[in-house]
Amino acid sequence: MPPVIDKEKCVDCGTCAQICPLDVIRYAKDENGKKHVVVKYPYECWHCRACVKDCPKDAITMRYPLSHMMFAMEIPEEKKN
Amino acid sequence: MEIKIRKDIVKTDYLIIGGGVAGLQSAITAAALGVDVLIAEKADTRRSGSGCGGNDHYMCYIPECHGDDFQKVLSEIGEGMEGGPWQDPAMLKKMMLRTKSIVERWESYGINMKPTGEYRFEGHTMPDRQCYHLKYDGHNQKMCLTKEARKNGAKIMNKVFINDILTNDEGRAVGAIGFSLAEDEPEIIVFQAKAVLVATAQAMRMYPNVNPAFIFNTHSCPAAAGGAAIAYRAGAKLVNIDVPYRHAGVKGFARSGKATWFGVLSDINGDSISPFTDKPDRKRGDAMMDIYPGIFGDRLESAQGPTYMNCTSYTEEDHAYQHQQFQCEGIDSITDYLDQRGIDLHKSMIEFGTYDYSLAQRGIDIDLNAGTNVPGIYAAGICCGNVRGNITSASVWGDIAAESVAEYVKTIPEYDVSKHPLIQQRADFYNELMNRQNGAQWLEANSSLQVIMNDYIGLKVRSEDMMRAGIKYLADLKSYAKKEIGCEDAHQLMRTMELFDLIDLAEAVAITSRNRKESRGMHKRIDYTFTNPLLNNKFQTIRKTPDGEVILEWRNKVK
Ligand SMILES: Cc1cc2nc3c(=O)[nH]c(=O)nc-3n(C[C@H](O)[C@H](O)[C@H](O)COP(=O)(O)OP(=O)(O)OC[C@H]3O[C@@H](n4cnc5c(N)ncnc54)[C@H](O)[C@@H]3O)c2cc1C
Ligand code: SF4
Ligand code: SF4
Repeated sequence: MPPVIDKEKCVDCGTCAQICPLDVIRYAKDENGKKHVVVKYPYECWHCRACVKDCPKDAITMRYPLSHMMFAMEIPEEKKN
Repeated sequence: MEIKIRKDIVKTDYLIIGGGVAGLQSAITAAALGVDVLIAEKADTRRSGSGCGGNDHYMCYIPECHGDDFQKVLSEIGEGMEGGPWQDPAMLKKMMLRTKSIVERWESYGINMKPTGEYRFEGHTMPDRQCYHLKYDGHNQKMCLTKEARKNGAKIMNKVFINDILTNDEGRAVGAIGFSLAEDEPEIIVFQAKAVLVATAQAMRMYPNVNPAFIFNTHSCPAAAGGAAIAYRAGAKLVNIDVPYRHAGVKGFARSGKATWFGVLSDINGDSISPFTDKPDRKRGDAMMDIYPGIFGDRLESAQGPTYMNCTSYTEEDHAYQHQQFQCEGIDSITDYLDQRGIDLHKSMIEFGTYDYSLAQRGIDIDLNAGTNVPGIYAAGICCGNVRGNITSASVWGDIAAESVAEYVKTIPEYDVSKHPLIQQRADFYNELMNRQNGAQWLEANSSLQVIMNDYIGLKVRSEDMMRAGIKYLADLKSYAKKEIGCEDAHQLMRTMELFDLIDLAEAVAITSRNRKESRGMHKRIDYTFTNPLLNNKFQTIRKTPDGEVILEWRNKVK
């Protein structure tokens, strides 16, 4: 799940669901009519970090999926500064 | 279930579809001119679109910095990333002359256009040329633009997806139809408006990207999905969609913002492959990526090897600077990723890649007033096909559209849309999709769309037979998708309607590509290998008549 919400810190204010450009996070009612945030469409996350930045409780971290792997190469020893 | 239709029609003079940079700028200006204006945005304008987390290069002409020789300015810009043959020179000229004013206005909205206290220009620059990209700090740009729009009296409806423009018997725009995503159950909303701006950005997700299994791994915000089709279905001309556009950047983790990296393009041994530079250059960057974004793909395909962004010879100050600039540019997920995986740019190079074909700056044909051939339909931003300039183009043409609309709406009477036939047609179709049990998923069809586009209307070579087949398969896909897709909530309904937008645009791409019987740039025909000089300085347009007939035309570039 790309955005990982720490349920201990989250107060279900709904901000992340409101601002997510991809509608990845939804603000849905439970059976008692109380609203909670759910990461409903994780594969549509663009990793823009808007939710991380706007969460008032610092409750969100990003997990970068292996499908989005960057390819890195160390430069040869003799070329290192 | 039966989808609700909101009882009250939402009435406004100027409806803006998409609250990105273009849409917000247009709303700010229109509201300041006293126009009753409303933005309908499928996400939330404070964080939506490609400018969501920020941008950091604003191309502009500031005479105090660049001198009075405007011809030189135009010719130098023409050589760089925002140059090239696929824009009307008259549009570039008009756009650049307005940039200073927008830069000053953005500063007044609270966007920091002078992070060092003065105008500083960096990046996207060829050797021995002036820099035209103002280095600014856009991290809060969407918040500031939204605040300014509201301050001026513009209304904003977030979480509203617009599906179609309504036109009347005279063929003029009179409103739009869409639905709300606020709850899981969609609610249809009908708009009545005298003028409409399409500012929905480019079509992402039409071609396979860096990892075809994950179609949201795209270089620009993947929320942009074929909005230009809204204008196309309403009769507006699209232009230049037969000539592919490609971008480049970090290979596996698709992301624009390549110019914020100012290292040297290097081979696997860390040796420069750039004709322009062999050491990091903060002021210019490596212009190679701008003028030849295909280099990464070409080097891989010919087995010359991978190409890396090499920052290993940066000073400590360079590293700190780049890190900070990633935040201004809204690409701090790159640094977050590198930190999480323990990748150190002091030691490691990052492979860059050439991205998919997108319809960035290929799309709606606009005139010098940001109008289209359909009265009442205006367009701005990267959904337009005859202007370039990204943030610059979005803000300037949004601004110009607002001025044109302010005059236009004075001449136009109210038109009652309550009985418009498209409302019921759309409602019936949404109901079918929402009530279909065990239906196909929109994603299945989107992946087939990508296969068809890649294999038959692709980038390597094109031919009559291939494109004929592609057009047939697209029609089949559309008909299967209509009959088979099922949606569980408003979100899936939006993705499904985006898919149909993408298929409509894909068909237009295929038809125009088939009709371009020559090779030019990245449009390579195996059956027409020559470049036809008679088509120099000409753009191809496509439009649909109300009866569904497709009209292809060639027009001269506007000089
Ligand atoms: C990481 C990154 C860095 C970049 N850096 C720069 C830079 O430094 N300089 C530069 O000039 N350019 C830069 N760009 C490009 C620039 O961000 C875009 O060109 C610019 O945002 C385009 O503006 P726009 O208004 O056309 O589209 P966007 O800003 O993308 O806005 C389109 C809006 O329309 C909404 N929308 C779409 N369809 C619908 C619909 N049917 N109904 C309702 N709403 C809809 C979307 O949600 C979105 O809010 C960068 C892009 C990225 C991704
Ligand atoms: S913004 Fe933060 S606190 Fe609010 S709902 Fe989201 S995770 Fe919870
Ligand atoms: S990172 Fe961006 S796209 Fe992903 S969930 Fe957060 S706000 Fe949405």
